Amino acid sequence: MRLGTRKVVDRSFTGLGIFSIALVSLALVILLTPIVVRGIGAVVFRATIEHDRVLMEHFERGNASTFAARNATAIAARAPVYEMLTAYEAQYGVDDFELEELREALQRLLGPAPDQSKPTLARDQFGATRWAQAQEAAHNVLYVQEWDYSDPTQFGVPVDVPRAKRFAGTPLESLFPYVSEHLDEMLQPHWTLYWGFLLDDSLDAHMFGGIWAEILGTLYLTIGAVLFAVPMGIISAIYLVEYAPDHWLIGVLRSCISTLAGVPSIVFGLFGLAFFINTAQVSKYFMAADSTGVSSKSILAGSLTLAILILPVIIRAAEEAIRAVPRTYKEAALSVGAGKWRTILTVMLPAALPGILTGIVISMGRAAGETAPIIFTAAVSVGRPLEVWQTLTQPTPALPWSVYNLCTEHTAADEIRHVQYGMVLTLVVLVLLLNTAAIILRARVSRRLAG
Amino acid sequence: MTTNPSIAPIGPGGAGRLAAPRSLLLSKRASRLRRVLALLGHGVLFLIASSSALAVIFIFFFIARDAIPFFRLEGFKEFFTGTAWYPTHEPPVFGALPIFVGSGLVTLGAILVAVPLGVPAAVCLSDVLPFSVRQYVKPVIEMLAAIPSVAFGFFALVIFTPLLQEHGGRVLAGVWWVVATPLVALLVFVLSDVVANWVVGEARHRAVRVLLAVLMAAAGAWLLFDVGGRFAALTISSGTNALNVSIILGLMALPTVVSVSEDALQAVGRELREGAYALGSTRAEVLVRVIIPAAGSGICAAVILGVMRAVGETMVVWMASGNAAQIPQPWYNLLAPVRTLTATIAGDMGEADQSAGSAHYHVLFAMALALLAISFVCNLISEQVIRRSALKNE
Amino acid sequence: MFYGDSAAVRDVTLGVPRGKVTAIIGPSGCGKSTLLRAINRMNDLIRGCRATGRLLLEGEDVYRPQIDVTALRRRVGMVFQKPNPFPKSIFDNVAYGPRIHGVRSRSDLQGIVEQSLRRAALWDEVKDRMRQNALGLSGGQQQRLCIARALAVEPELLLMDEPTSALDPMATDHIENLIAELRGTYTIIIVTHNMQQAARVSDLTAFMYVGELIEVGDTSGLFTKPVNQRTQDYITGRFG
Repeated sequence: MRLGTRKVVDRSFTGLGIFSIALVSLALVILLTPIVVRGIGAVVFRATIEHDRVLMEHFERGNASTFAARNATAIAARAPVYEMLTAYEAQYGVDDFELEELREALQRLLGPAPDQSKPTLARDQFGATRWAQAQEAAHNVLYVQEWDYSDPTQFGVPVDVPRAKRFAGTPLESLFPYVSEHLDEMLQPHWTLYWGFLLDDSLDAHMFGGIWAEILGTLYLTIGAVLFAVPMGIISAIYLVEYAPDHWLIGVLRSCISTLAGVPSIVFGLFGLAFFINTAQVSKYFMAADSTGVSSKSILAGSLTLAILILPVIIRAAEEAIRAVPRTYKEAALSVGAGKWRTILTVMLPAALPGILTGIVISMGRAAGETAPIIFTAAVSVGRPLEVWQTLTQPTPALPWSVYNLCTEHTAADEIRHVQYGMVLTLVVLVLLLNTAAIILRARVSRRLAG
Repeated sequence: MTTNPSIAPIGPGGAGRLAAPRSLLLSKRASRLRRVLALLGHGVLFLIASSSALAVIFIFFFIARDAIPFFRLEGFKEFFTGTAWYPTHEPPVFGALPIFVGSGLVTLGAILVAVPLGVPAAVCLSDVLPFSVRQYVKPVIEMLAAIPSVAFGFFALVIFTPLLQEHGGRVLAGVWWVVATPLVALLVFVLSDVVANWVVGEARHRAVRVLLAVLMAAAGAWLLFDVGGRFAALTISSGTNALNVSIILGLMALPTVVSVSEDALQAVGRELREGAYALGSTRAEVLVRVIIPAAGSGICAAVILGVMRAVGETMVVWMASGNAAQIPQPWYNLLAPVRTLTATIAGDMGEADQSAGSAHYHVLFAMALALLAISFVCNLISEQVIRRSALKNE
Repeated sequence: MFYGDSAAVRDVTLGVPRGKVTAIIGPSGCGKSTLLRAINRMNDLIRGCRATGRLLLEGEDVYRPQIDVTALRRRVGMVFQKPNPFPKSIFDNVAYGPRIHGVRSRSDLQGIVEQSLRRAALWDEVKDRMRQNALGLSGGQQQRLCIARALAVEPELLLMDEPTSALDPMATDHIENLIAELRGTYTIIIVTHNMQQAARVSDLTAFMYVGELIEVGDTSGLFTKPVNQRTQDYITGRFG
């Protein structure tokens, strides 16, 4: 090859590397942008009067006088709608399928009609709480989806047909232009910052309210896992660095640690089910004698399972940190007559602490984000925030599991996308905060070791 | 230095605040006690340290204990070779071959994404980028590693799936253009030079060179447009398929591949690099001819660890692979929905009758045992590979 | 002394007189440090290291199995080649030893710390910043701090393993003066490959070569009229 070509190949080789890094960064941006943007939308959004009503009725929050004023305007704006309905019913009777459909669509938008009795399910008690939802609901009031089979070579195509057509010539004909023009007055949209999303209980399986139960459950599981894994991990690391003889058994032990690090997380879940719940029945010891729950999920079982999962991470981090402590510290301590244990406790561990903390923080991130190990051991779909003492016997909702559950198994998965995004963002922020803390800690350690 | 007048020569023990030094000798009893205590402490430490070994043994034992009843009930043959998976039929059929194929297919796909992206990125991180830039790139890779798998799964299901379903062909064509254009351009450039040298030797036949370059460029452009057009014409009937999962799993396995290969590249000694540079090689030649071969086994280990990550991942495949237990036709058809071992375990455990010890319950443990065996073997291989390369570099 | 199967130091018989400064000189790798570290059994830390023979401290063999190693190390202080203060405050560095040996009261600790720092000629420089991290001190100060730390447990014998090799000439001068002050109070064994230093600070000098003790004698005598040819060659600079 000519020298020129060699140079170009050299440059493009560099370019290839940079290109791949750019692609990876791009992928990260593509991944995180929608999660961040729409996740923030769970907390900052245009709320309607219905959102305020949920807060007033179920969480006893909000400014009563502002609410009363807004509510009065909204009721006044809604009155004509119900008048038209009554007029229509007087003329055509109530037993009308199309009327039924319209009423249902209106209920999704505005909540139950004033003359209606209070529905049992919370999701039917309120209209659209978010302006984006309200616009969709309004669209469903104004249009009906029909299937167009006119082209026999193709599958049916959905087409939106104005609902007004069905009611042409009736008192309801003017309802549709009224709804589309007075949507603002009927729902009173306003920007709001809903901190309660993080701190409120969920209402009717996340149709309204917040995700506090999930956040708390994740915290319990994470802290529990760390409580079990950290002492064992640090002691194991001390043994491996300071005591372990050159013996084939120690080689086997090291292989076991790396095997444990490679076990798929779902297998941990099965193991937790087979061992902690079915065999050891860890929660049985803390239950009242007369309780029937012999083997059930609990935070305790989940924490233990997660603890085994993060144990190798902690052992490796602690081992590395203890190995990095300069030998001279140890010599100095021994030379003034400190015993081995005293040297480890007073000199080696304090010096290794930042490195160990880095490992702990990273493993917390790992434990908080894992889903598969808690499916069979600790997670439930719906639940209330638990007290600390309940963690020994009770299962809990947790962020990662609820994300899965809400977007695949919830009956109204499409309507509560904002909750799903909010949960994902909360989880990602939690984990990334922990990892950022670890990166900062590590930078400080390396600076100290350098200077 | 002037003598500090405040120093008074005080004999040992003169301060009198410390207890007098103990005798050097311990009594026989104290000595024995001390030795027993030390041995005891050592033993306790060993016990705690071996808890992770204990955990591994327990995991194998408890998974195997619930897996064996399945093989006793149903035998091996159907499980490993049968292609029909109807665990809830009467009688149930447990042909897990499609599920093994599904796991293999998404893993293969993930590796096809992670390795071509990850190895150049690792090379770039270890040998090309200056330290100041590297500082900012590493956290990006670490962030990718830190994001919980359920967040990836959520992205795959809620954002990526509809995108593929509605604009599948165009998305794929876009990716093809972005990735292939620079590569094809480079290939055209190098090939035309090589061919020109082969045809006319070192002589400077300008016309021949230009002609060759134009011909090659035309061929390259044809290739780009042809394949791009084919991609654009594709319609994807279901967004939850092996391709979707492969891309996401590839991203998830990427940090492992990058960091392990980077370690391997860093481990190649300075002397080797300097020696090669001293012979007048360009950086690309040093990397391709010297450093990457020297780090080869480490990069192998990185790929194996990436495979482990992809095989063992649950949430993404459960949410976005389509969960259809059928072998894709043809087998490499990434656009078909598949079902993997992990997703089957996660999804079916809720349905399987736990208390009665049904075959459906035990078959899931059999799958977990298979997963465990795969990860164990991968782990052993990667450990051996890393150890061998460590020996070689010493 | 053996490392694995190879003997690092053999056939050394050396008497160290109380209250005197004994210097051990010799080329690098001749076993000086190994010998020194054998005295307070710091070599125990090194895997595969073992010792045969007897090493008597006040008539007691320190390699007898019943020996309490921590008590031994309390009576035999050590200062290392590179200053190695703990990453703690100056006060905690010096108080580390006394605390280990059971001194709890705050005022007692303060007294011991002050006294030790005075003896190490560091008190005036650091008395106003006892709470600061010891790693902020200069190299020479750090080394004197390490000497203070060793003195704080009131040893009888002080081992110094090339204590000035990592320091600049000014700091070296400080340390050498300090050794001169400590002479008489403590028995000191100093390992150095700097012959001038040995000549300046020691009363007795021993010359070691390839793990063997070649010659020992009065410092002035050894440097002016060496008996052995190899000592002669070494101190006149033919090798080493």
